[in-house]
Amino acid sequence: MELGIQPDYMKILKLDEDEVKRRFDFFELTADDFSRLTQLKSFADSCTHEITEGLYELIMAHPESRAFFPDGATLSRVKRMQNAYFLHLFSGTYDLNYVRDRLRVGAAHERIGMPPKLYLGAYRRYLALIHERLLVHFKGSEAEASKALATIRKIIFFDMALAFDTYIAAYLETMTRHQAAIRELSTPVIKVYDRILLLPIVGTVDTQRANQIMETVLVQVVEQQARVIIIDIAGVPVVDTKVADHILQTTAAVQLLGAQTVLTGISASVARTVIQLGVELTRVETRAKLSEGIEVALSIVGKKIASKKPKKESDDED
Amino acid sequence: MPSGSIPILKIGPTLLASIQIDLHDTVVDAFQNDILLEIEKSGSRGLIIDISALESVDSYVARALANTAKMAKLMGTETVIVGMRPAVAATLVRMGYYMSGVRTALSLQEGLELQAELLKAAESE
Repeated sequence: MELGIQPDYMKILKLDEDEVKRRFDFFELTADDFSRLTQLKSFADSCTHEITEGLYELIMAHPESRAFFPDGATLSRVKRMQNAYFLHLFSGTYDLNYVRDRLRVGAAHERIGMPPKLYLGAYRRYLALIHERLLVHFKGSEAEASKALATIRKIIFFDMALAFDTYIAAYLETMTRHQAAIRELSTPVIKVYDRILLLPIVGTVDTQRANQIMETVLVQVVEQQARVIIIDIAGVPVVDTKVADHILQTTAAVQLLGAQTVLTGISASVARTVIQLGVELTRVETRAKLSEGIEVALSIVGKKIASKKPKKESDDED
Repeated sequence: MPSGSIPILKIGPTLLASIQIDLHDTVVDAFQNDILLEIEKSGSRGLIIDISALESVDSYVARALANTAKMAKLMGTETVIVGMRPAVAATLVRMGYYMSGVRTALSLQEGLELQAELLKAAESE
């Protein structure tokens, strides 16, 4: 993915002491659980390798998940991380740093594009492996083993929730960034000629976009001291009363600044709808084609397009 | 008598008022009065109101300015409002106030040019 600073998921997810406590409460992680986890440390030390191997057995058996670990170096690195992750479950400190570490794990999985189904599927195997090891550890005492497993399951679900929150936050982050990019691209104001600007509008115009268009147009008109702004709506699929109203507003505002609007790209169907809807566009200079709009704009600033060599046939002049 | 809070300058045949202070209702009423008296006194044919310093305009002020232009017109004086800020224009149209019939220009320079054109057109009639 792109370089740069990772988003601060702690902040985005509002993970402070209180929130972490609420989460512990909801997952029913109590002081007993934490002390039990700490007591299981020797168990963890004894079987972390086996569990990791077992987990990667599953992962490497399926091409879809195997694809994430293309070479031996990567594999041994992630296995090392997996061991560390496992031991961390029993470290005895469950604070904001612990949470931050979990978010990092989630973010890393999201970054490499690991789909949630693989992530969850692997966790299922993980828990089964832990259960097996626990039975061996407690020498067949089902009661002890299931108590320990219940605790481990709590902390693992707690971790999974954090990882998923990171997944979702990362997706939202990407979406927000894309929306911003689209917004920026959606109002390109082009200088066509001295004091003539052009704004081609492509795509649907909702209220938010209409407001943004108006703002951009007004600021650009003043900044570039434009006399005319051509708004081309050939790329707007539907021109309804709302869109027409937005255009009228923008036109009026441009007039207040002391400039004029020329509206172009009015297709036959747009002309029909506008009249059928009873929208008055008469206060705006309108043309079907952009080229005609440019001619109108030029004539407003006292210029015109003329043929280089005067020919016998008459020019565009009527 | 001019209340003096907004100076009105005479440049050739044109009056220029540059609004540099916040327009309260009372100020704008006094301003309107000053302008009309000044037109009466000087017989100027053109008026330019520069509002480039105004960061916000409410509907009362907008209406007062538009009305001033109409009153001046009755006295034979063409008004051009210059230098409106983008945010002000956006607010006015969103309030549904289009100030129709009021001439506008981007800058003082353009306002003067437009004013000269208007005077020329009036003379040639």
